[in-house]
Amino acid sequence: MEVLIEKLKRQVIEQLNLVEVKPEDINPDSPLFGEGLGLDSIDALELIVLLEKHYGIKIEDPKDGKTIFQSLTTLAEYIKANGKS
Amino acid sequence: MISAIGNNVAESFLSLSHSKTGIGKINYLPTRYKDEFLAGEIKLSNTDLKDLVKDNSPDLNRNSYLAMLAAKEAVLHSGIDTKDGLRTGVISSTTVAGMGKTEMFYKEMFEKDDNLNVLDTHDCGDSTERIADYIGDVDYVTTISTACSSAANSIMLGCRMIKHGLLDRAIVGGVDALSKFTFNGFNTLMILDKEWCKPFDENRKGLNLGEGAAFLVIEGENALIKRNGKALSEIIGYANANDAYHQTASSPEGYGATLAINQAITMSGLTPQDIDYINMHGTGTPNNDLSESIATKKVFGNQVPKFSSTKAFTGHTLAAAASIEAVISTLSLQHQLIFPNLNFKTPITETHLVPVTALLKTPINSILSNSFGFGGNCSSLIFKKV
Amino acid sequence: MVKAYINGTGCISAQNTISESWFFETITPPNVDYYNAIEPSYKDYIAPNLLRRMGRAIKMGVTAASVALKNADVKEVDAIITGTGLGCFEDSERFLLALLNNDEQFLTPTSFIQSTHNTVGSQIALIMKCHHYNYTYVHRGFSFESCLQDALMLFNEGKKTILIGGVEEHTPNYIHLLRRAKKFQAQDSSVAYWNSKTPGTQIGEGASFFVLNSLKTEKSMACIEGIQTFYKPKTADDILTKLNSFLKLYHLNLSDIDVTLMGFSLDVNFDEKLQKLLPIIEKESCPAYYKHLSGEYHTSSAFALWLAAQLIEKQILPKAISISQKTPTSIKRILIINQYLGINYSFMLVSHV
Repeated sequence: MEVLIEKLKRQVIEQLNLVEVKPEDINPDSPLFGEGLGLDSIDALELIVLLEKHYGIKIEDPKDGKTIFQSLTTLAEYIKANGKS
Repeated sequence: MISAIGNNVAESFLSLSHSKTGIGKINYLPTRYKDEFLAGEIKLSNTDLKDLVKDNSPDLNRNSYLAMLAAKEAVLHSGIDTKDGLRTGVISSTTVAGMGKTEMFYKEMFEKDDNLNVLDTHDCGDSTERIADYIGDVDYVTTISTACSSAANSIMLGCRMIKHGLLDRAIVGGVDALSKFTFNGFNTLMILDKEWCKPFDENRKGLNLGEGAAFLVIEGENALIKRNGKALSEIIGYANANDAYHQTASSPEGYGATLAINQAITMSGLTPQDIDYINMHGTGTPNNDLSESIATKKVFGNQVPKFSSTKAFTGHTLAAAASIEAVISTLSLQHQLIFPNLNFKTPITETHLVPVTALLKTPINSILSNSFGFGGNCSSLIFKKV
Repeated sequence: MVKAYINGTGCISAQNTISESWFFETITPPNVDYYNAIEPSYKDYIAPNLLRRMGRAIKMGVTAASVALKNADVKEVDAIITGTGLGCFEDSERFLLALLNNDEQFLTPTSFIQSTHNTVGSQIALIMKCHHYNYTYVHRGFSFESCLQDALMLFNEGKKTILIGGVEEHTPNYIHLLRRAKKFQAQDSSVAYWNSKTPGTQIGEGASFFVLNSLKTEKSMACIEGIQTFYKPKTADDILTKLNSFLKLYHLNLSDIDVTLMGFSLDVNFDEKLQKLLPIIEKESCPAYYKHLSGEYHTSSAFALWLAAQLIEKQILPKAISISQKTPTSIKRILIINQYLGINYSFMLVSHV
């Protein structure tokens, strides 16, 4: 799980071009949206693509992202439960 | 006007009057999602369009063909003669521009030299200059690109230039052909509906893309009288405002939309109660239709006029949408008909607004037409019966 | 006639114009076939959460706009009008190549959203929280001129302060393809820029933004008296006739113009009519050229306007842009004659305040 979270940190930073953020700056339990990293709805769409590209998970309804992307931990748990690769 | 519901205004009117949608299977756009999505595709191939335009020039593309056809129809219909010494402008708009052709040849360009000239027709100004050259004796050209409000902004600019005495008349409107670029772009935003779109319905899932072009000849009163011309409708109000909320989404309270609608109404000298019909932007996306409904209720209170979105007929034609809807609004005024909001069953829970769902013959003196685009660009036009 | 006063400018170009004190101390040599803009550290101008999404055209536009606003000491405007011929090409290309390389799969929305032509204007509106009029013009060599025309109409309609600008970017791929299409050339130092005998321009990029005011203030550095465009003139005589009519609107003749900035682009085909006009201009005014500083692109006339404002403020016509040996005794009026592809011609009349 730790490995996945560390991998996710780097992938999220890359996908969202968070040039000022380092992996050690991200608390896996902090909210990704609103406060915490302060991501927005466009970032949510980017994360949906990340899930499909790297983990083979397709999210059909963008509204599902609200729960899945609450934090890096919830994202990692979702991948563990649904991932194909 | 050329779109999925007809190759000219007369055909479009028949489709509108018979509730015949143009949205269906994709035949020509070479996308891998051809069988997954519906679109308002024009039922003509590029070869068909080339034959209609009667121009074998190899550097034309689908966007130019559509623009040339629609603009020529407008000019012929109006009876203007661009050689009569009056100052004529062409003000067009597009978002796709030449991308439909560029995307076919871009990779190949790195290996071969054959199609490098495709880059010359990639930009937005190309189809406008094609119109100008096709019609001839045009004094002024420009092109606007503000996403889905583009053509409304073209119409508005034409009106203002005539008012300021810079032009006597203008051919105004917009064009956007389908392209893989745009199709996939909207797909990444997850705002496409795989089924037929449902504007203003509680269960709407997104929009269907469409393609088309529509142009109107607008003239100042002096120019019209001078040539003994006949007006089909009158533009009495217009406004452009910015939501300044998000790159693509509309603000939940429809701030920019409310501003544009109110400013257009104020300019027209009418009050909200005077508006007989609203041709809504109504794309069918969860975000737009709710935001637009809220803005509508803000402006009209409990007296929301009859309204419909005609995008379940044509699909969302992006930079052509507002001019297609301007033509539809003019047809409404001419024939005293409101064309229905197709595919509607259940009103949106938050706002309870119910559109006109069947062809309606009713007195209409003034129409408000809305177009709201990415980048928070909100435009409203008001048309009056003559 | 309605005038517009330039109260603040911001310019990113192939010269070090973003440093704001630049006035011909160093000039990027024109012996290259394309120019890159000299860009600042964008972190100094744009918040990181916005910056991460922006392509270069957007960064250049937003930065030049913010410099203009700062110089004008203005936080609110009545309208934002931007001009661009190619739009946010870097993002367009990114999305296009991803689409083509991945066969329409795994595409991400950011580059699509950022590729829409009105992104620069709408990003500025978002940052300023400006809910007013916002247009983007995208017509080739008329893109910036249309902005200016629109601003003058808005002043006539009662608006007071308007932000306008022109922006363009190129990408390595675009340069590569245009080079293969033989669209470029570097300047041959044995041939005067305004006397080119060969086809090809030097492509450039940049952003020039202006805060315009309907009334003169102590910040006003120059005054825009008028603008006119015209499409596909048939001959140089056509242009001259139009030029004389344009100047007559302001009760002027060519001899009243102290400096004429001419849009020679190094391409013999595009420059043909301007080359024919040059002797007449030389006789009546002091001709100058500018595209060897900016490079050629759809909105290079925005750079010309920026340059005109500098010349008027400093009252100097540098040798580096002068075509003849004539120097004006003072610079009260500048006429900009621009052309793009030999198809889009424009006149801008700029005067001292």
